[in-house]
Amino acid sequence: MNLGISALNYVNSIKNGDFTVEEFIEKSFERIKKVDDKLHAFLSFNDIALEKAKGIDRRISSNQKIGQCFGMPISVKDNMCVEGTKTTCASKVLENFISPYTGTAVSRLETEDAIIIGKTNLDEFAMGLSTEFSAYGSSKNPWNVDYVPGGSSGGSAVSVSANECIASLGSDTGGSIRNPASFCSIVGLKPTYGLVSRFGLVSYANSLEQIGPMTKTVEDSAFLLNIISGIDHNDNTTIDNKNQDYLKDIDAGIAGKKIGVVTEMTNPNGLSTSVLNATNDAIKKFEDLGANCEQVSLGMSKYAVAAYYTITSTEAGSNLARYDNIRYGYEFDSSGFEFNSYISQARSKLGPEVIRRMILGGFVPSAGHAGKYFLKALKVKSKLITEINNIFKKFDYLISPTVPIQPFKFGEKINDPVSFMLVDFNTVTANLTGIPAISVPFKIEDGLPIGIQIMANHMDEHSLLQAAYALEKTVSLPEVEI
Amino acid sequence: MVDEEEIIHVAKLMKIELADYNIHIKKVQKMLEYFDILDEANIESEDLIVQETDVDKLRDDKHVIYDKKLLKFLKNYQETYVKAPKLS
Repeated sequence: MNLGISALNYVNSIKNGDFTVEEFIEKSFERIKKVDDKLHAFLSFNDIALEKAKGIDRRISSNQKIGQCFGMPISVKDNMCVEGTKTTCASKVLENFISPYTGTAVSRLETEDAIIIGKTNLDEFAMGLSTEFSAYGSSKNPWNVDYVPGGSSGGSAVSVSANECIASLGSDTGGSIRNPASFCSIVGLKPTYGLVSRFGLVSYANSLEQIGPMTKTVEDSAFLLNIISGIDHNDNTTIDNKNQDYLKDIDAGIAGKKIGVVTEMTNPNGLSTSVLNATNDAIKKFEDLGANCEQVSLGMSKYAVAAYYTITSTEAGSNLARYDNIRYGYEFDSSGFEFNSYISQARSKLGPEVIRRMILGGFVPSAGHAGKYFLKALKVKSKLITEINNIFKKFDYLISPTVPIQPFKFGEKINDPVSFMLVDFNTVTANLTGIPAISVPFKIEDGLPIGIQIMANHMDEHSLLQAAYALEKTVSLPEVEI
Repeated sequence: MVDEEEIIHVAKLMKIELADYNIHIKKVQKMLEYFDILDEANIESEDLIVQETDVDKLRDDKHVIYDKKLLKFLKNYQETYVKAPKLS
């Protein structure tokens, strides 16, 4: 049995009777047992996964209606609520928090008979890009365990890349799906803001974040997006996509399309040599596919990282104010404490990056500083949206490397906050402008992956996935050896 | 450079105790220093794009009964009340 098969091939194999759901789930757990001590993709597992698998097998054998996922094992980033299971956000503050309900995206997968196999590691409250800020230890890159897997949805990327499950759900606030997808050589899609409901996603910076699929193939991302997208009355930012079928005509090709190569995101001074070479190769591939590539400047992208961190810190400062350990949290008796000291004591369990972002979040919108930081950040965001809207009048897609560098070693960047923030340079623009963006695995250089990012206009996922599919078909990459 | 005292004051307002005092302050200072790049963006005259949502697009404002017992998820409660520390 090949645990590395795509979601679509899994569905066909189950329909053909090549194996049962129970057999596949059992093998997946065996795989997890074999590799996860080393990789640490998961924070918790679903104890009733096998039981669910047996139930689906019974329904299959009695010819009952089965959901589109046919029991495929899917992991979920541990900042999404799944009823009755722990949702820790990789924080000690929530180490015993049990979700009282299931979020919409996960619930839609379960309705289609996906089996949530476990919850995956992340940087605490999704603040980071390497999983080094997880309170439960970092995940390791399956391509080389001395290197970070990217983040913050690092555990999700590792679980898919190392064939511990078929696919995963991640969340992306500034690149948290695309960055680990690029670092682990899988596909990661950040949908248009509002295309997927955030109900049940623990908020970090809710004006920017989106849930999205992390998969082995572009088709699988389209398949999962078909299920999780669309309007949800529990999230009034959701958009009605009229049940668009993202798989339809995915192989239509991109001949005649106009592609803008973002100058600021492909600047040789900002990219490692290997990433620059891979980007040039990708441009050549797009041209061979019949697209017209030309350089385009996105002037405001130079300020996007500063604007992004200013806005996200402000929202984080507000969103994380709820972690006062009164309504939920860890075992800690309130008796004998005065109100403020109790909350200070409770928050001492927050990790270093969260503490810094909360302080920043208090500082940048505060009286006397809001004009210098927060207001300017919002204006940069507005001007970036205007620039993007104008660019998409002339171009069908924008491209860049997903991350300016290849995966780095543990500890290499953690002490330099500015160099750490700049790893997000190419990904934050899609979040600030709300447009969809995807990372497609493109190359393995010196044993480590490089991904290419494609961006499209608002709600143009259909066309975005066609471009991603076309690029994917031009490369043949090795399987990870672990 | 932003004054250390200001950062410490904000941390206090956020009810955060800084155990690794020096590490945090220096890193926050470095991040704020980087944010100064926003001064070069020349966007003072730029209008803000505001996302508006029509009231009729919001879900109906009506009481929906939640039939699950949420209190059992709380760490500190008494009968049907959340138990908070004393205010002083």
